[in-house]
Formats: sequence, structure tokens, C-alpha cells
Amino acid sequence: MTPAGSLLVADELRKTYGPTVALDGAQFSIHPGEVVAVMGPSGSGKSTLLHCLAGIVPPDSGSITYNGREMATMNDAERSALRRSEFGFVFQFGQLVPELTCVENVALPLRLNGTPRKEAEKAALGWMERLEVDDLRKKRPGEVSGGQGQRVAVARSLVTNPRVLFADEPTGALDSLNGERVMELLTEAARSTNAAVVLVTHEARVAAYSDREIVVRDGKSRDMERVV
Amino acid sequence: MSLRQWWRDLAMGVRFAFAGGREGWVRALLTAVGVGLGVALLLLTTALPSAVAVRHQREADRTDITYSDKIIPKAADTLLVASSGTTFRDTDIRGRELEPEGPKAPLPPGVGKFPAVGEMVVSPALKELLDSSDGKLLRARLPQRIVGTIGESGLIGSAELAYYRGAEGLAAQGITGGRITRIDRFGNPSPVQERTDPVLVLLVLVVFVVLLMPVAVFITAAVRFGGERRDRRLAALRLVGADGRSTRRIAAGEALAGAVLGLVLGTGFFLIARQVAGSVEVFGESVFPSYLDPSPLLALLVGLAVPAAAVLVTLLALRGVVIEPLGVVRTAKPSRRRLWWRLLLPLAGLGMLYPMVGQGRDGGDFNQYLVTGGVVLLLVGVTALLPWIVEAVVARLGAGGVSWQLAVRRLQLSSGTAARMVNGIAVAVAGAIALQMLFAGVEGDYSEDTGYDVSRAQMQVSVPEGKTLAATARQLAATKGVQDVYAFDEGYANDGQGDDAHFGRVTVADCRSLRQVAELPSCHDGDVFASHVAPDADGSGQHNADGESGVAAKPGKTLYFDTSEDPAKPTSVTWTLPKTLKQARSIPDPTGYRRGGILVTPGAFSAKAAAGVRGEIYVHLDESMPDAREYVRNTAARIDPLEEPMTWVSVKRNDRFDTIRTGLFMGAVCVLALIGASLLVSQLEQLRERKKLLSALVAFGTRRRTLSLSVLWQTAIPIVLGLLLALAVGLALGVVLLRMTGTAVRVDWPSVLSMTGAGAAVVLVVTLLSLPPLLRLMRPDGLRTE
Repeated sequence: MTPAGSLLVADELRKTYGPTVALDGAQFSIHPGEVVAVMGPSGSGKSTLLHCLAGIVPPDSGSITYNGREMATMNDAERSALRRSEFGFVFQFGQLVPELTCVENVALPLRLNGTPRKEAEKAALGWMERLEVDDLRKKRPGEVSGGQGQRVAVARSLVTNPRVLFADEPTGALDSLNGERVMELLTEAARSTNAAVVLVTHEARVAAYSDREIVVRDGKSRDMERVV
Repeated sequence: MSLRQWWRDLAMGVRFAFAGGREGWVRALLTAVGVGLGVALLLLTTALPSAVAVRHQREADRTDITYSDKIIPKAADTLLVASSGTTFRDTDIRGRELEPEGPKAPLPPGVGKFPAVGEMVVSPALKELLDSSDGKLLRARLPQRIVGTIGESGLIGSAELAYYRGAEGLAAQGITGGRITRIDRFGNPSPVQERTDPVLVLLVLVVFVVLLMPVAVFITAAVRFGGERRDRRLAALRLVGADGRSTRRIAAGEALAGAVLGLVLGTGFFLIARQVAGSVEVFGESVFPSYLDPSPLLALLVGLAVPAAAVLVTLLALRGVVIEPLGVVRTAKPSRRRLWWRLLLPLAGLGMLYPMVGQGRDGGDFNQYLVTGGVVLLLVGVTALLPWIVEAVVARLGAGGVSWQLAVRRLQLSSGTAARMVNGIAVAVAGAIALQMLFAGVEGDYSEDTGYDVSRAQMQVSVPEGKTLAATARQLAATKGVQDVYAFDEGYANDGQGDDAHFGRVTVADCRSLRQVAELPSCHDGDVFASHVAPDADGSGQHNADGESGVAAKPGKTLYFDTSEDPAKPTSVTWTLPKTLKQARSIPDPTGYRRGGILVTPGAFSAKAAAGVRGEIYVHLDESMPDAREYVRNTAARIDPLEEPMTWVSVKRNDRFDTIRTGLFMGAVCVLALIGASLLVSQLEQLRERKKLLSALVAFGTRRRTLSLSVLWQTAIPIVLGLLLALAVGLALGVVLLRMTGTAVRVDWPSVLSMTGAGAAVVLVVTLLSLPPLLRLMRPDGLRTE
């Protein structure tokens, strides 16, 4: 399946961890600016699919094409560079660096790309304002609440203006109110930059923020639109 | 609070120490291994006094050469013993020839039966050497049939080289109480309690403190392994109803479990090390496992102090942590570290040492408690000052590249952890620098310039009774590896027989050899010279000039040579100075002496007077020939089995000084290895704690090099600060110790820098070793939660 105009396409992905089959012929595609929710129960292979799509974990077989280029042909350094410049990430627990201040955390991906510190922090502050956490700039992650930390993590994922944003259970550790606010800000920011969002979740109310839903079960994916 | 509740909390802590499946066990094992290594080293230390005492006792029990004037008469229980020790390469071999004179002759310790003539009993290490291809050269010197081995009670170390061989006719060679003696029992009949030099006592005390302090620091670091995870576990317990005090008791129970397991492992490590110690030789020293029995009282102290310290350290570490039911809250702004009390410690240490400044100069004793206390306080001062310095410096460090920023920010957040990691190294380096300075300073006092000119000759062989100088010199000259020999018959002669007779030295040698001791105008066989030591000699090589001969060297003068074998029955022969007596100017001979007196070529000397002189041969070796010294020793042994050629060295050191130095090196090796292991474990633990974060950082494209560099910076910054502090404290302690011994203060920079470099090398090695696990942890697998 290679729908026309897709930015990221995966076909017949297979991945096993020892005796456990995580992906068993999974398919996926996403267009620029599209928000796709990947749903499924715990252990169904959602996160593995996200990791494969982002070039973090190589699949055992199958192909992943980003912007017309086969990922399997890229080496580790090229995939890392792709993640630095084209992709953004939000994880369930934020995974902020505890010793850096919030603004330093948000500026980190830019700095890894070689942007000078002041310039990177200025851009970071801009994103923090959009995500309503600019007052936390001097605080360390240990000094802010979970919801605030997750918004800082979203700001960090968007600071490089990525073309694809990977969000793995971004509201999993938040209460519903905070979760909804984070999702609003995330999808709003992504749409404003025309970034595609791969949203891994098992919550229907989070998936509701997406344009399309894919269900993963036993390592196989199904497009909900076609089923419904 | 009931005792039962206390017990329950402690027991729960013990259970938690091993809970959590494989990870729990790994954590408990890491702590136990860390504590165990420290305990093993402490137990080894407690065993050292006994090892030294047993060694000393065994040495005393086998004493045979009494150097007594009184020779006991031959009897059924007497034994003739001759010393025939030798040297193989740089190792001394203790050797004795035994000739029992009756059926009740005493057997040496460790020997079951006297070896017959042509047989010998040897130590296990010597047997192994003689059986090896390496020992072939030595076998030529010790060709006797091996009929048994010397038991442990007759040896002072497992690697000692020693033999007893059967002999006959020793009495005919003269029983002097020196080289050959008659005894009716082994053991020193009149042991003398030697007074130990106070400076050496000072050195030993400081070596012990310097080596044990880092071990203590290491143990306190080891019991904090896994601390962050434990805090989270305690928070979960708060959630289900445990109160603050209860969590502390549970933490104490956990620490206690790790420490007790560490004690068990440490005892195991010690027993293994004890066995291994029996089969290794370090810097020429070896022991038997049985020597290493810890003093029961000290061992008990270790057994109690280690668990107590573990609990204390854990409780102290929990001071800055508030364990709330919903998580661990580190006091957000930890109270600023205060400098004043940290400075008090080293100052108090200096205060304790100051009253002893200059005491060593007049041989006064040092107060052992003040020395130990002073050095301990100074070194503890390092551990107290370092966290303050690290905190103060990293707070002022600016942001640089990403790796630098990650490292600096982490250090700013928890500088205490970093300081704890390098405390051990800093203490060890500070102590070692002070000791190196002390050693370098007092080395001159314990080393002696022998005066030997080792560029002209390297060995000296005495011509035994009954052998001629010429024949012995020929045999030596024909030996492999010998470049030249200088042979002299030496003796003394009087110019009369009355009480007013003068006494002078006479040297008989060929012209070539005589040129080694004097400037000769011309020389032919048959010439005789009067050698003068110039009063204005430049002093070079004038180690011990004989001075002008007392004999008025006038042509035609008659000289009297003492040829008596028994001093009670003097006999002498005469020899007359020829009319053609020439003049010569003395130069330093190869032994460093300027000899005056009469120099005689063999053609001019009387054969009768030859009994009044004794042959000495100086051997010039071809140093490019491997084992040249061994070939000479073999030739000398063929000429006379009791003859041990002398090997010349230009500088001679006090043996005891060497032993202490050896001890320091051995200890420093153990301590550095231990600290390196501790650093590695802490590093790995920190990395494991951050596994998820590292994976996340890699996920969004962080280069592995950036993260590796940040780990390096994170270690390097505190290490550099620690080494600078160690340098300052070490130099200060070194200066104080040198002033205590009354020695001129001089910094031995090469050794100071090499110690600092060694400390830095440990860190580098640890960082390099932690890189592979770091790279493994950076794999994206870390993001998996299921």
C-alpha cells in the first residue's frame, strides 16, 4: 500500500523480540499535516510500530519509505540525523533531562543540530509561550507538575519544526483535564506547521483528536476508516 | 515503638535488599561485592602483624651462624654448619652445608633427615627453579641430588629459595663461628630486641593510614549503590502506610543486609586471597597462607564496624531526602555547604602533627596516636573539602557545547554524588604524594654510596685458602661473560718485630692490575713501588683512603709478614725491599679506595711471604652477555663451594626502608584497583538509572559521541578538582612529615606528577570501560516498556 502523496509509508513490517512477535505484516501511511492515531491494547505492537516508523528500531522485514527514500538504505548516522531534523518525539513520561532547565530541555534538539545556544533558547522560548509554559523556563523538570512537564516535552518535540511528530501515549501519565489540554496544544501546533502526527494511544478520547485511526492487534494493523 | 516493630522493619529491609528479581539480586550483589572487597582488604591488614611476627619467629628459629668467639666442643649432639648461600640473578638463595658430628645432631626446622654428601634438601620454590629450563645455570652450581624438600616451618616464605646439603671435612677448613660454625641447637641463643628507627615507625604508620583511608571511603560508597531506586521503593511503602521513621529503619535493614552479605563475601575473598598469597611473590616477598591469620580482636572490630558504618552512611544519606507517599522529594534547594567546619578538619590535623616538627632529627620518638590522628584528620579533610570545592566550582561553570552542558548541569544538580565518587582517589593520591615526598626526602639517609666504580669491575671474588691467585684468576678470566680480571694478593707487613714497629699495606699484582690502583712511571715484572696518597688528592673516589703507609719505604728495608694460622702462636717470614724501589702515586682503585703502602709485581715477591697475603680478584664483566654474573658465580662455586662472589652496586639501601617502600607499592596497587572498581560500579549504576532517558535522547537524534563526551566531562571535572585538592593536601602533608623528620623540604616532582597521573589514569580506564555499557544502554530498546 503506497497511497499517493504519503510522507511516510510502511509495508509488511515484521518484528520479533525473542519468541514474542511484535509486528506481523503491519501497514501504515501518513500524509503531511495528517494526524493518525495508532490504537490497540497493551502489548499489541503499537509502540514497536512507532519505533520502526521513526527509524529507532529496524524491522526484521518489510519496508519503510520516508519522503520517497527507503529507510533501510540509511545508516545509523543518517537515521539519527533524520530524527534530529525531520522528526519530533513526545513520550509518556516526557523524558526531560532532569538536570537541565525547561528552556534548556526545549532548546536541546536545536543545539544538537548545531544551533548556537542563545538562538536555540530564543526559539525554545517561543514554543514554550505557544504551549503556555514560558513561566517555567528557569525551573528544572523535578520542580514542575506532570502536565506542565508534558507540555514542555511537546514544545521540545516541535522546536525543530519537524515534518513528522511521533507521540507515544503523550497523555498516559496525565489526568483527563491536563491530557485534553496537552492534546489540543499538540494537534493545534502540529497543524499550524503542517506536521504529520503519529499518535500512539489506547484511549479513545485521545484518538478523537486524530483524522484517522489505525488499530494494531497481534502485530497486524487495520485502517479503522475502511472497517467502519 | 516496640522492639518487635523495630525488628519487623529491619527484617522487611533485609527482604527488600534482595527483592525485585534479577535486578534486586544484582544490586545486592554489587553492594556486597563492594563491601566485600573492602572487608577483604581490612582483614588482610589485620593479618599483617601476625604475618610479620611469624616470619620473624621462623627466621629466628632457624638461626645457626652465631658469630660467637666461643666454639663449643665436638659432641654427639653437635652439628657443623657452613654458610654457602648464593645469588641467582637478583634473588638470594639461602644455603647451608650440614655435617652432623653425632647421632643427636640437631635437625634444622622443616628438615626430616640430614642429607648425605652429594645430596640436598631444597625449598619447593628452589626445586621448581632447578627443574625448570631457567634454572639450568643454577643447577651447575647446585649439582647435588635432591632427596627432599624443606617443610614450611623451615622457610620464611612460599617463594623462598633455600637448600641444605650434606658436607664432610668442614672442620678442616677452620671453625670460626662465622662462615663455619658448630652448634648444638638451631635458634638464636641471645636474641636482641632491635629498637626501630622512629622515622621508619612514622613511615609505617602513615603508609597504613594512607592505604586504609581510601578503603573506608570505598566501603561508604559501596553501601550507597542503588540508592535512588531504594528511595522510590520507600516512597511506595509510605503510600501504603509506613511512617518516616519506619522507612528509615527499613532502609537501615537494607543496608545491613548488604553489609552482612559483604562481610560474608569479604571473608570468602580474604580466604581466596590468603591461598593465592601463598603462590605469588611480589617485589621479592612471599608468605605462606598460614601466616595470614587475622588478629581475632581486629577481625571482630571489622565485623562490627562495617555493618555499623553501612547503617550510619545510609541514614546520613537519607537526611537530604524527604520520602513522601507520592514520591521522593530531594530537598529542592539543598542547604549550602559550609566551609568553616570542613577547614577545621585539616587544620586540626596539622595542629596534631605540628608539635612533632623536628623530632626525628634528634632520634626522638613520635607519638603514634598524634601521627595517626593528624594524618587521618588531614585526609578526612580531603573528603570534607572536596564536595564544597566541587559545588563551588561547578556552580560557576558556564554553558558550552551540549555534552559540556549536560555534564555541568548534572554536576550542579548533585555535586555530592560526583565528589563521593572521586573522594577515594583524592585521598589515596594525597597520601601517596605525601609519602613519595617523605621517601624521596629521607632516601638519602637510608642509602649509602658504596664507592665502588662499577664501570671498571662489577664483581669481586676472594681466593680461597689453598688456591693460588694466578690459577683462580685464570679460571675466572676464562669464564663466559668475563671481559677482564684484576688480581691482587693483599696483606699487611711490619717494618720490625718490636712494639715500635710500623705497619703498612702490601699489594702484589701484575703491572696491568697495579695500574688500577696507582699511576706507575713504568712497570715490569720484578718492579716494586712505594705508593703515596697525595695529601691534596681531589677526593674523587676517595671513599676510604688508607693514607700514607706507616712503613718507611726505604730500599733494603726488611718487612715482616704474619703467616701464623693461630693468633696464639705467631710466626712470620721476612721480605726485603729491593734497592730499585720506584715511586708511584695512588689513584682510586675499583673499590673506591686509595691505597698507599708497597706495590709489588709477582717477580719481586718472595714465595715464602705469599702465605702472609690473601688474594682478591676484581672481575670486569661483558654486560652485553646475559647471565654473565651467573657464569662467574658458577666458576667461583667450582673453585670453592663456600665462596660467594660479591656483586658490586654503586648505591646500597637500607633493607627495612626497601620493605616499607615495597609495602607501599603493593598497597597502592590494591587500593587503586579497588577504587577503580568502585568508580566503575557507581558509573554503571548511574547509567542504568538513566537507561530510559538515554534511549529517549538517542531517539530524537542525539549523537552517541555527545553522550559519551558528557559522561567523560561528568567524571573528568570532579576528578581534576579532586586531584588538585589532593596535590595541595599531599604537598602540605609531605612538607609537615619532612619537617617532622628534620629533613630538608624538597618536592620530588616526577613522583608527585606520576602519582597524580596514576589517579587520572584510573579515571580514564574506568571511563573507557564504562563506554561499552553506555553504548549498549543507548540502544532504542531502552524505550520498550513491555
